[in-house]
Amino acid sequence: MLSGSKNTFKVRQMEPMLKERMLSQSGASARSRDILGLRCLPGECVLQRVPMVRKKLTSREGRGWLSGTLFCTHFRVAFVPQDTPEQLDNADPVLLGDHDVALAAIEKVVVVGPNRTKQVSASSSLKFTPEELLLFCRDMRVVCLLFDRLTPDAHVLQMTYTIAKTYQPLKPGSVLAFQNAALGSVEMKQFLSNRSRDPHMNWFETAQDWNQELERCGAVGWRVSAVNERFEMATSLSRFVVVPQRVLDTELKKTFAHFSEGRIPRWSWRHPRGADLLRMSSFQNNIYHEKDDIRNLELVLFGGHSSLCVVVELGEELPSTLDIHLSHSRLRALCLGDVSSSMTVPDDKWLSSLESTHWLHHTRACLRKASEVCCLLRSGHMTVALQEAEDRDMGCLVSSLVQVMCDPHSRTQRGFQSLLQKEWVTAGHRFYSRLNYHRDCDKDESPVFLLFLDCVWQLWAQFPSRFQLTEDFLLALHDSLHLPLFSTFLANSQRERLKSSQHVGQSYTRVEGWRDVPLELEDLCDPPLPPVWDWDLQYSKERQASFTQPIPSPTPPQPLLNGNLNTGTDTLRMADTIPGSVFLLSRGSFSCPPQLPPWRSSLSSSVYRKSHRRALSSEHVPGLERLLKAWALADFPHTLTSHSGPQGPLDPYEPLLPLLMGPCLGLWRQCYLRGAIHAQAFSHPLSSPQPHPVERLSRQVQQLRTQLSQVPVPKEPCSPETPMGLQRDLNQNANNSTFLFPAARSSKTPSPQQSSRPAAGPQQSSRPAAGPQQSSRPAAGPQQSSRPAAGPQQSSRPAAGPQQSSRPAAGPQQSSRPAAGPQQSSPQRSHKHTFLFRASSPGRRRSTAPEAQSQSCRPHTAS
Amino acid sequence: MDKQPGPGASEGAGPSRKPRAAATGAATNGDGPDSPTGSHVEWCKQLIAATLSSQISSSGPADPRENRTGRRGDWLVFKRLPHRQDSLEEGLSYHGDSDSELLSDASNIPTLRYGAQVKMSQNQVPLLPGENSHVTVKDVMYICPFSGLVTGTLTITDYKLYFTSVEPEAPFILDVNLGAISRLETISVPNQGENYKGLELVCKDMRSPRFAYKTEENHPDVVKVLAQHAYPLSNSLPLFAFLYKEQFPVDGWKVYDAAAEYRRQGLPNESWTISKINSGYELCDTYPSIVVIPTNICDEDIRRVALFRAKHRIPVLSWIHPETQATIVRSSQPLVGPSDRRCKEDERFLQIIMDANAQSHKLTVFDARQSSVADTNKAKDGGYESESFYTNVDLNFLEIPNIHVMRESLRKVKDVVYPTIDEAHWHSAIDQTHWLEYIKLLLAGAVKVADKLESGKTSVVVHCSDGWDRTSQLTSLAMLMLDSHYRTIQGFQVLVEKEWISFGHKFSSRVGHGEDNHSSSERSPLFVQFVDCVWQMTRQFPSAFEFNELFLITVLDHLYSCLFGTFLYNSEQERTAQEVQSKTISLWSYINSQPEDFSNPFFVDYEHHVLYPLVSSRHLELWTGYYARWNPRMRPQVPVHQTLKELLFVRAELQRRLDELQKEAAAQSVSSSSEHSPSHPGTPLHSAV
Repeated sequence: MLSGSKNTFKVRQMEPMLKERMLSQSGASARSRDILGLRCLPGECVLQRVPMVRKKLTSREGRGWLSGTLFCTHFRVAFVPQDTPEQLDNADPVLLGDHDVALAAIEKVVVVGPNRTKQVSASSSLKFTPEELLLFCRDMRVVCLLFDRLTPDAHVLQMTYTIAKTYQPLKPGSVLAFQNAALGSVEMKQFLSNRSRDPHMNWFETAQDWNQELERCGAVGWRVSAVNERFEMATSLSRFVVVPQRVLDTELKKTFAHFSEGRIPRWSWRHPRGADLLRMSSFQNNIYHEKDDIRNLELVLFGGHSSLCVVVELGEELPSTLDIHLSHSRLRALCLGDVSSSMTVPDDKWLSSLESTHWLHHTRACLRKASEVCCLLRSGHMTVALQEAEDRDMGCLVSSLVQVMCDPHSRTQRGFQSLLQKEWVTAGHRFYSRLNYHRDCDKDESPVFLLFLDCVWQLWAQFPSRFQLTEDFLLALHDSLHLPLFSTFLANSQRERLKSSQHVGQSYTRVEGWRDVPLELEDLCDPPLPPVWDWDLQYSKERQASFTQPIPSPTPPQPLLNGNLNTGTDTLRMADTIPGSVFLLSRGSFSCPPQLPPWRSSLSSSVYRKSHRRALSSEHVPGLERLLKAWALADFPHTLTSHSGPQGPLDPYEPLLPLLMGPCLGLWRQCYLRGAIHAQAFSHPLSSPQPHPVERLSRQVQQLRTQLSQVPVPKEPCSPETPMGLQRDLNQNANNSTFLFPAARSSKTPSPQQSSRPAAGPQQSSRPAAGPQQSSRPAAGPQQSSRPAAGPQQSSRPAAGPQQSSRPAAGPQQSSRPAAGPQQSSPQRSHKHTFLFRASSPGRRRSTAPEAQSQSCRPHTAS
Repeated sequence: MDKQPGPGASEGAGPSRKPRAAATGAATNGDGPDSPTGSHVEWCKQLIAATLSSQISSSGPADPRENRTGRRGDWLVFKRLPHRQDSLEEGLSYHGDSDSELLSDASNIPTLRYGAQVKMSQNQVPLLPGENSHVTVKDVMYICPFSGLVTGTLTITDYKLYFTSVEPEAPFILDVNLGAISRLETISVPNQGENYKGLELVCKDMRSPRFAYKTEENHPDVVKVLAQHAYPLSNSLPLFAFLYKEQFPVDGWKVYDAAAEYRRQGLPNESWTISKINSGYELCDTYPSIVVIPTNICDEDIRRVALFRAKHRIPVLSWIHPETQATIVRSSQPLVGPSDRRCKEDERFLQIIMDANAQSHKLTVFDARQSSVADTNKAKDGGYESESFYTNVDLNFLEIPNIHVMRESLRKVKDVVYPTIDEAHWHSAIDQTHWLEYIKLLLAGAVKVADKLESGKTSVVVHCSDGWDRTSQLTSLAMLMLDSHYRTIQGFQVLVEKEWISFGHKFSSRVGHGEDNHSSSERSPLFVQFVDCVWQMTRQFPSAFEFNELFLITVLDHLYSCLFGTFLYNSEQERTAQEVQSKTISLWSYINSQPEDFSNPFFVDYEHHVLYPLVSSRHLELWTGYYARWNPRMRPQVPVHQTLKELLFVRAELQRRLDELQKEAAAQSVSSSSEHSPSHPGTPLHSAV
């Protein structure tokens, strides 16, 4: 056994390190090299290597052991299984392999010896040879590695020490080192700067992005204001804010002062029934104000409508950031065990201990609040304004949760990413402080975003078939959050972000379009941090393939401009509301605060007419309360009815209201318990928790479809009559039937190659008819090939060229769907998107390839 | 009552289902002739499982609503169904116009594939073949714990209690079958005037509906009639299973043939023989007539052993490992007594069992009891195998508490889930019931047994005190882990028939079929506990079982219902005496007549895999789909089950098409290949993004 002295050890350790470094630097020409099986990043050097290591697979990976080689580099602990298939030499670098752990994600290193367990730190020395190495990660994974008995003790010890020394217990300064290890090389910088952004999601960085969102939501009466473009009015807000059209910038400027941090009421989202969702921070009481100010303020608050505004106070019923932090630490301790000496957490009283973390309690509170807001929104014309003291934590959480619940677009991967860009990243959630990578703002640390992910997971678990994104995606996002590598999470506001990645001073002189200019040579000083959404950087294609369901929920029809989709009873009830009334929703009840804007009471005569207020409080509060009660009564089944009852067509915007009873909220086992090491290590492939059954089956269906579409279509593709007749029926029924079966609907939409369905993003909204329509045809994929309806159309313009082929999916569907009319009425939009397709997404084209192929077969054979 | 959906209602079910059939499931195959009926059967099954109702063949007035529910069908649909019946608020929220719509369409009367027509009583109560209604009381109020009072009509038949609301805009049906009633309690009904009486039906299936009714009129006393038919045996009436006249195309009594099952296991062989020593139940009256015992032991010795084992339940073979010949042997406790009695024949018996397995020179005895209890038993003339007398025997106590503890635990579970669920303290409340803890003990014990057999290649003897409660649980669970055959629908039926029914688990006493004695200490939910364990395994191994959750719930529902003869009586001997097989119908007849409804779409027969479930309590869950299913708020949100079925359908259809196309393509490949080449656009595999 090696002597325990760390000094002697240090010396010995250096040699192989140097050797390896030499080795790795020698083949400098290739961007990434294979060193003994490990694909290194540019500039990455292997510090230590131990072959014949077995990695314990988690239940998600199928349990059992996988043998391979263990590496430690400056950036990660990598495990390369034996017989990993050779990768292409020129493939883009992927930061982490499927079995790798970034050093920054490691929280502690524990070794297990013959009969003892010890936590290893940079300075500790071991008096025994480890048999097992446990890496406890911040993202709640536990990686368990078993050394082979034949491996010399020295190697094992060296590896252990190396990891212990190089992993970074996050502390000031260590983050930069880590970033440099990962992205610091010249090649890597070059590579990163050449990467383009995902064009299929909305980044909310330009005015155009916001306009696109306004258009997508069909919001009228709003405009994008560049009043904060230089972050002069509010440093934490995004550069563009959406405000009522009626308010001029000059008027707007006066409003900023009345809100804490200048976070004025601004538009976030519009419910298709016409209600707008706003966010704002609390009123500043101490500021002198004039009548004009009040008028402006009210204009802003009432937004597009002049009817009714409900201010939802987020402070009271939701957990504070401190609560969240405490609760998450308890949860982590419970799930991982905080004692280095024991690997398992005592099992008894598990449920009680879980309850006492209050984590589920907080989740429930957030979901409940969001459900309330959803119920308000769906009732139609009104403005719902979320108010939080700072509007940078719960405001983000609730407003994005509401959109996940109400907007099917937000349940697609790209849509969800766009949502996060909108409500968290550019809206100024303090990721940097809340995540506290640098350990320099401990008092601000709070995993608000993790709570949000948990809430989304709860929704996903209750409505798996209505999400296009999957649990894997949420997990990936969860894990990425613990890597201090992404610009998305390394700043407190958009301003900081721009400052660090680009020189704001220069960029804002270029009005509009600064984003389109690639990060030029101007600054490669620091590693240019990539956004987290660049998944190619982090995960292999296979992993990414599991981020989305192969069969996504269709995007519902686009909301009509000017219209609200549904004039339900709720809307009618609200319709007689006297314009200009403000209510405050707090603790489940409405009040008509005498001084909502705090100074109003003093100006009783000005804008406000007393009579209104009285009338309101007596008559309309009950009406509003009924809305909420409808939900609160029974976590209400009433929505269920409307989805699934035979009678009405399902409104795709009917919110997904979660059940919040004790048994209905579960622990995100796949996330929090995936590292838990169990007494048993029976290996069995069966026990791996499979993807959700629906997911699995739809994957199989999709595979078949792909296969099917690859089968060369013979001259007269299988008896066109039957499928045709069928299809007509289906089309007729499309409206009803799909709504009857929300889940079934999703299953029917063919989307070849789940991974490459980028159209889920903005594009989908441009051809919104596609989803529902496809959904009504279970065998849409194959049938397309045999559909005369599509045939003639295509063959009539055979020379359409690239344009034609770039939108094969949209074309035929629209052609067979009269209901697509309204959507097509925005031709300018679809042009834009077509263009987008053509210009930038081979991936997109690939996704439609099977369809395209089978369709183009047809003209050929027919002609 | 007259406003209730009449005959039209039953007919309404068809059309209202139609759009769905056309739009979704059936879309792929057009209007398959079978699809309406098929889906009807589907939801009907779910309904049955949910409500314990016996409406196997009925599609009476309840249909419009239930039909709708079924369509909304779900992975766990059965847990949702009852709620819609239980809770008025849903009725309020969405019945209304939808119903009229449903009722307006009339065609396509659902019939079951085995053809029984629905018989309706004059009160529009759907009746089973052989069922008669006895009392109908109007103006009864159902005190719904979820939504308040519902006024309606109550009918009591000899099989069920059937309550329908009178309000046409809020149709509401509650259907409780009498077998599930554990006790009847009068309760006070405040605020309704003095001539109202209250009645609470405390049920074995975790709910307790309450009613209030007027007493003034001269109709017969509801409670009396109810008690009479809920407890037929206490009132010298036959159990309903003997009156039930349904005809099924499959005979479930043929599912289990002991000799065939042992043949499947490769018995008899040189060490084990199928013995008829108990054919007249003289040796042991609670054992089956056919048992497997070692070859080289004489009848005389066996009789001695029988005298030394409690209730004469000698060690007999339950399962034999196909490769190692290691066996699971079950028995009752040895009657060692405080004076440490010995029985040479018994010792030799165990020695022979050990010798029959050449792979190991040990025999492991698993005593399911807590060791302290075993000691107490020893003082009371029971006991356990002493390692000093039994050479090469390993004795293990599995520390599982007795039936009384289990009964109490489940009672606490009921308090937690019905009628209200405490949101904030849900988890700690479950912890306090200790139910999951016992589930864990049981599973852990079964894993030990299975592992000893599989990895240790050692034969095991399992016993508790009498060898019919915990022993059955452990052996059947271990066999489920070891033998993939038992994880199929038929195999599971065989397992239950064998380990539980034939080996004399006292179903009648444990469940209390048709008897008044609700406080009997003999009652205990051991079979429920076993099924719960099975469910936990299905959660951990989602594709290893051929049956689905509906199957398990159906089995449990009919454990209480007394509709089928399967679970009646305590032993094979009693069953033979009562001619159960000829006079009643088997539950398996019903299930095997439509196995597709009970099958798991993901089933893969992992033939040689042994399943070891994780028994850490963080991997166990309370089976809310069963225990909490009466709560309307527990309804799952998306119809996963339905989606699965439809996807399966699509998959089959696509597969068929693919094959077809491939065939055609192969035939035409020459002519079409040239045309196809241009149609494959060069699609880059990797996006440049």
